[in-house]
Amino acid sequence: MNVIRGFATTLKHLFMEPVTYQYPEEERPFRDRYKGRHVLKRYDNGLEKCIGCALCAAACPADAIWVEAAENTDEERYSPGERYAKTYEINMLRCIFCGYCADACPTEAIVLEHEHRLSFTNRRDAIYTKTELLEPPPEGMPGTPRQVEPGTFDRAIPEMEDPK
Amino acid sequence: MTETVTLHIDGVSYEVPAGMNLVDAARVYAGVEIPVFCYHPKLEPVGMCRMCLVDIGFEMRDRESGELLLNEDGTPQIRWGRKLETACTTTVRAGMHVRTMTEPVQEARKDVLEFLLSSHPLDCPICDKGGECPLQSLTMRHGPATSRMVLEDKMHLAKHVPLGDLIYLDRERCIQCARCIRFQDEIVGDDVLAFHERGRRLQIVTISDPPFDTYFSGNTTDICPVGALTTADFRFGARPWELQDVPSICPHCPVGCNIVASTRLDRDAGGVKVIKRILPRQNEAVNEIWICDKGRFGHHHSLSPDRLAAPLIRKNGELVEASWDEAIQAAAEGLQAAGKNVGVIAGPMLSNEDLWGLRELAEGLGSKRLGLWPASLGDAKPLDEVGVASGTNFAALGKGDAVLVIATDLEEEAPIWYLRVKQAADRGAALIVANTRTTKLDHYAAQTLRFAVGGAADVLNGLTAAAIGQKWIAEDLIESRVSGFGDLQKALKNVSGGDEDAAEVLARAENLVIVAGNDGLDAEGHTALLQAAANFLIVTGHVGRAHNGLLPVWPGANTQGALDLGYESADTRRMLSRTPRALLVAGADIAADPAGAKALQKADFVVCMTLFPDATAEAADVVLPIQSTTERDGTFTNAERRVQRFYTAHGPLGESLSAWEAAALLGQHFGLPAPRYNPALVMKAIAAAVKPYADISFPALTAAEVQMPPIGEAKGFYGGTARPPIGGTGIQLPARSEGRGKLHVKPVDAPGAFEVGEDELLVVPVRRLYDRTPEFASSKLMHDRIPQPFVALNEADAARLGVASGDTVEVSADGAAVTVTAVVDDYAPQGVAFLPLRLSADPFPMIPVTGTVTRVAEALPVGD
Amino acid sequence: MLKDKYPDRIEAIFAKYPDKRSAVMPLLYLAQEEYGYITPEAYREIGEMIGVDPTQVQSIAGFYTMFREEPKGKYWIQVCTDLPCALRGADEFYQALLEELNVEDGGTTEDGLFTVEQVMCLAACDKAPMLQCNFHYHENLDMDIMRELIAEWRAKAQAEADTDDTAEEA
Repeated sequence: MNVIRGFATTLKHLFMEPVTYQYPEEERPFRDRYKGRHVLKRYDNGLEKCIGCALCAAACPADAIWVEAAENTDEERYSPGERYAKTYEINMLRCIFCGYCADACPTEAIVLEHEHRLSFTNRRDAIYTKTELLEPPPEGMPGTPRQVEPGTFDRAIPEMEDPK
Repeated sequence: MTETVTLHIDGVSYEVPAGMNLVDAARVYAGVEIPVFCYHPKLEPVGMCRMCLVDIGFEMRDRESGELLLNEDGTPQIRWGRKLETACTTTVRAGMHVRTMTEPVQEARKDVLEFLLSSHPLDCPICDKGGECPLQSLTMRHGPATSRMVLEDKMHLAKHVPLGDLIYLDRERCIQCARCIRFQDEIVGDDVLAFHERGRRLQIVTISDPPFDTYFSGNTTDICPVGALTTADFRFGARPWELQDVPSICPHCPVGCNIVASTRLDRDAGGVKVIKRILPRQNEAVNEIWICDKGRFGHHHSLSPDRLAAPLIRKNGELVEASWDEAIQAAAEGLQAAGKNVGVIAGPMLSNEDLWGLRELAEGLGSKRLGLWPASLGDAKPLDEVGVASGTNFAALGKGDAVLVIATDLEEEAPIWYLRVKQAADRGAALIVANTRTTKLDHYAAQTLRFAVGGAADVLNGLTAAAIGQKWIAEDLIESRVSGFGDLQKALKNVSGGDEDAAEVLARAENLVIVAGNDGLDAEGHTALLQAAANFLIVTGHVGRAHNGLLPVWPGANTQGALDLGYESADTRRMLSRTPRALLVAGADIAADPAGAKALQKADFVVCMTLFPDATAEAADVVLPIQSTTERDGTFTNAERRVQRFYTAHGPLGESLSAWEAAALLGQHFGLPAPRYNPALVMKAIAAAVKPYADISFPALTAAEVQMPPIGEAKGFYGGTARPPIGGTGIQLPARSEGRGKLHVKPVDAPGAFEVGEDELLVVPVRRLYDRTPEFASSKLMHDRIPQPFVALNEADAARLGVASGDTVEVSADGAAVTVTAVVDDYAPQGVAFLPLRLSADPFPMIPVTGTVTRVAEALPVGD
Repeated sequence: MLKDKYPDRIEAIFAKYPDKRSAVMPLLYLAQEEYGYITPEAYREIGEMIGVDPTQVQSIAGFYTMFREEPKGKYWIQVCTDLPCALRGADEFYQALLEELNVEDGGTTEDGLFTVEQVMCLAACDKAPMLQCNFHYHENLDMDIMRELIAEWRAKAQAEADTDDTAEEA
């Protein structure tokens, strides 16, 4: 009897739609909260959000992030305010994708997006530098560094709403 | 002993010294932290920030009987103040009760913080102070979670205001505590900072020329309780928690300030550790919590790209890079050829271990010629006896004590001593300054004495004669321990003209420290000065006990160590006049002196150990790269004979080695043992061979004395980035006078005045704090602060020579000539031209010489 | 140089005080009289005269509203807008005055006649809105009185300019 029941189950499944995705031709949609590779964001005007404060590095439990800061000038401006990240590196082999860095960021510059295809042929390639992490400037906006009108971008921390 | 009173804090009673500041008493005796911003134990309390509000009450007494009124349960009745009071402006009294944790107190703290933050930008993420900021930590501990302030109403002010080249002001972050202004005013005496305007617009300004004109500006960034003042050197260098603090000793002057080198890996430097900033390390006996700007910003020599990274050997007349093996081989062959006719000249920036290594090498070669650079120092023997006794601390000098500062411009030669001597004078110590010209310390002096160039010993002879004549002498001591007093008395019989007022003040002082330099002296004059100072100290009984004795202002960080280890300036002079066949010059740019340059030419073979490819290296046959202070472990002995240890802060530059190791590698070719494994073993050898160092070892040097007030604590209670005494506070070697042995006085024949011909001037070299030696000038930040080469002329001489201020003149003497700008004022006495050393690369004699000044070009009409 | 131009006045000022430092305020007035406002050079001169760092002199001048560090107009109008005055309408009065003269806060009119700024308490709270013009008080003001005053000052300035012109011609 049991044998027949077994065959019946098999038969039933033969006609069900398979759940298998034919990766890489086919990709499963991501949940919004999925934490993939980090991206360094820009403001709408194309300036970098990252101000090089290294709070992400301080928050990182895996010690995967390395930040070195330098000073902005109006002739060579990367981000609003006085400070920008001169060096920004994440070692993807160390990263555990916990997202603490994004939580710690005061300017919402670092975001764990949905890119998950990370593979390397040597350890050095696993260290993503600022060029790889930084998103391209928005359509029609110049990139960084750039020359700006003196006195336009003197605030590092964006104006935030009054706490309610 | 000081009187103590019972102080009650939060219901617990403590015995504390009467009259102590309440904040300090609570911190030290009760472990209770009353939060502060404007209060700093080194500054007078002002009660500006209101953060330290506490509830203060006193025990009530019956008006008639004077007896304590008691509650029913037997506890004393306390009358509490109607309002909260600032703890920082309160001193401890008997019967005082303090409540620090009541609701009104906590509420007050919350309100003060809310108020301070109402116009603070809260840009902690980009602030250099973020992470070690008192405002940040006190807000976390006591502050409100939210603010009633409407953010749009925040006043925005300038964020990047340079106060001079070294310090930046962020006007928004300033909480107007005036610590920086008070530091400049009370401690330094350069009141170049001040508040401007009122209310929230209040800002710190400076319009001195150059702006923030002081040698101590960096300290204001240490004590700033917010990120309003930051240094240009460290700006955005790293976050404080990313840095590793390595204890070190400042290599620039004889004070031996305790510092830490904050290091971090750096991508631009190739992923190696670099020094990001220098901070003071608390040592109340040496530098308290201060360092000068030379020490703070002059650290860039350690990893300068201009440094020598690999050995050089001379091939076909050219210096070419070589491996260590080749270089050592070449050096050994050269020295071999010279046989025993070899001499060593060592500079004052080498560690004790380096000096010992070189001495072992010299002895292995069969030579006893150990020269100390510069060649202008006198015989330092009297110092073994009368050097400041162990335990001496300028901070202990006050009313009834005296300090004589002679033949030195302390501000330029040992800035922290300047600061501490000035403060001793402020506390009431009688300060007497004797020099050939005005120095900044004169301003604080009870009396100033002037003498002709070279006449420093005459001043002290006069003082001694006056003291003996008036019987201001320590007769018991003279009778029991002093030899040679009769001779001295006889020799001084005919000496007159000693300033009696000064002699009385000095001789009858409770404690006396004589600070003696060699400004305007040649070796003979310096020898005479040191002996004359020793005579005065011994005769008046100011030896052998703490806070008494002679403090020499040496030209380098480890001159004292070199003297202790058998190096002598006199040996250098002998080697310059009768040059040995082979010279080994280590850490000394002897080509900066024409006599040294000549000796380099005369010697058949020269080995040079150096940090930088300087003129001496250019003249050498083999050049070996050695390491700077921060690249290795070692010890310096400061002029107070305090042996202090420094630690490896970062890796060596290129292939450089410690000088002791290089010397040992060389020694192997002459049958000496292989290099020791580490400098600790070298110190062990020193301890075994040199008697005063018998108790010194690397482990012993790690011991730290307890520091009071505890400013540098890791928790940073008083708010400040001075570091705690990690790595040890050093061991002070006792002076011989502290034992029971005989003390020696002997008559001093003061050398006569320098002979100056008709059309000549006496060219006197003076030391400036900021000069163009590569050890300092490699800190590019400081370039604008280093004066252009100049010579100071008297108005009368200038008129005679037809020279006006700003003219370009050529100063020549002894076959050397430098082209400099003339500065004409009444600073130089007539017949004398003061020429600062090492402002230009051209060699010039380092002792007073007769020379000529001729005009080369007229001053530019406008500017400059 | 003040020292060369007014040696007698400076001497007289110093004679009034036991300590040279105390003479800083009268010297600042003198400098303002001479230069129209207090120049950085004036700080150096005064600092040298009384033997303190120029920064300290600037600090004193900065604290008081009687000293101005930028060029000012012929009529220097200072309106108190501290709390008691504000309660009696000083802010509105000040704004109206700015509009009337068409200047910015702290600015000078194009003809160089008026400089208008707001200052802290002038100790006439009961008579607000009030202002101080070249150290003379005008109290219980409204815009009607103010317009009259302005017209009066303009006329006065014009008259002076005319006499100057005739003097030059003569």
